[in-house]
Amino acid sequence: MGKQPPLSDDERSDLIAYLDGELDAKSARALEAKLNVDPRTRTEADTLRRTWAMLDYLPRPTTSVTFTSRTLERVSVFRPVTASSVLAGLRGPWALGVGWAAVVVVAGTVGFEAVSWKMRRAPAPPVAAAKPVDVDQQLVRDLRIIEHKRLYEQVDDINFLRKLDDPDLFGDDN
Amino acid sequence: MPAIGETSAQLALRDPDTRLMLSVRDDQPGAFEELVEHYQNRLVGVLHHLVGNATEAEDLAQEVFLRVYRARKKYRARCKFSTWLFTIANNLALNSLRARQRKPVVPLNTRDSGPLGPRPAERLVKDSGSQPSKRIQQQEMAAVVRKALDGLNERQRMAVLLNKFEDMNYAEIAEVMGLTTKGVKSLLCRARTNLRAVLQSYIYMDGEPVPQTPDDE
Repeated sequence: MGKQPPLSDDERSDLIAYLDGELDAKSARALEAKLNVDPRTRTEADTLRRTWAMLDYLPRPTTSVTFTSRTLERVSVFRPVTASSVLAGLRGPWALGVGWAAVVVVAGTVGFEAVSWKMRRAPAPPVAAAKPVDVDQQLVRDLRIIEHKRLYEQVDDINFLRKLDDPDLFGDDN
Repeated sequence: MPAIGETSAQLALRDPDTRLMLSVRDDQPGAFEELVEHYQNRLVGVLHHLVGNATEAEDLAQEVFLRVYRARKKYRARCKFSTWLFTIANNLALNSLRARQRKPVVPLNTRDSGPLGPRPAERLVKDSGSQPSKRIQQQEMAAVVRKALDGLNERQRMAVLLNKFEDMNYAEIAEVMGLTTKGVKSLLCRARTNLRAVLQSYIYMDGEPVPQTPDDE
């Protein structure tokens, strides 16, 4: 290949922009006119185009099979916790058992609380308390006994005592 | 062609990926997974060619997606989603490359030894035969092009990859890389001139005659 006098930086820059479809319409027309008459510019355009096409030899790397799951796992730390996400997390063969266990625990707790609440609100059962004793009244009623308590203590038999009260035995002489 | 008076936001909303990102912003179930699946190969492809290492490319891509997710509430449809995504990727990749330059690492060549490389018998089978297969020829060409790409500086490399593999125009590349359109034009001109200097001897290997210039005549 022979020695090619290089294009100026601006000319080459315009040529590459033209190949990329980035040159404005007026400049593009001027460059096309030059390409028609100037073999050097045509060769330059051809080598640049072929160089660009060689990049197609580069492989197109793809992600590993676990990339998506690993990425989502990292992101999950920042995910807002919603009811649906919690339920989604309960999917699995053991989810039914866990669900029933939860239902039983919740039902037991609710039942216990309900009974406790009812008991707190119910009036206390009536207690068979003794009527308040009116001590004064009792003392008044038993006053005679109290006054003669010393004499009563000497008596062994109440019937004997009643006989003493008989007027026939101990009546006045007059 | 955009309609007269159409804003950049309205233009962006025509982009299906922008609408998908708006779904991610609104925490719609499955939207982020769809976004990752749609972009992961494109992103890792560009990053792999940029940093030259598959593991590092995947780590960077994960970081890009993580940042997209964390910034989702701030997302505004001002430009195409891919432009926004690759802006984040560009910043992260350039930071990573600069950090690597400060603390260089020597990658192991898995073809030379270790369980991932071919065993000697396999290598013999691969190298046998008087005529190289087309596949080997393609592999060799890929290695040559890879070397030429690695010879570019990181900004030239990024501009080339976005232009070649992401079909981004100069304005989009300028937005991703924080340059002017004129700056991108200049950057791509230098990059393609450098690539041609390295690949010149391989350009006409397909048997097509080298075009004659007046100097040859």
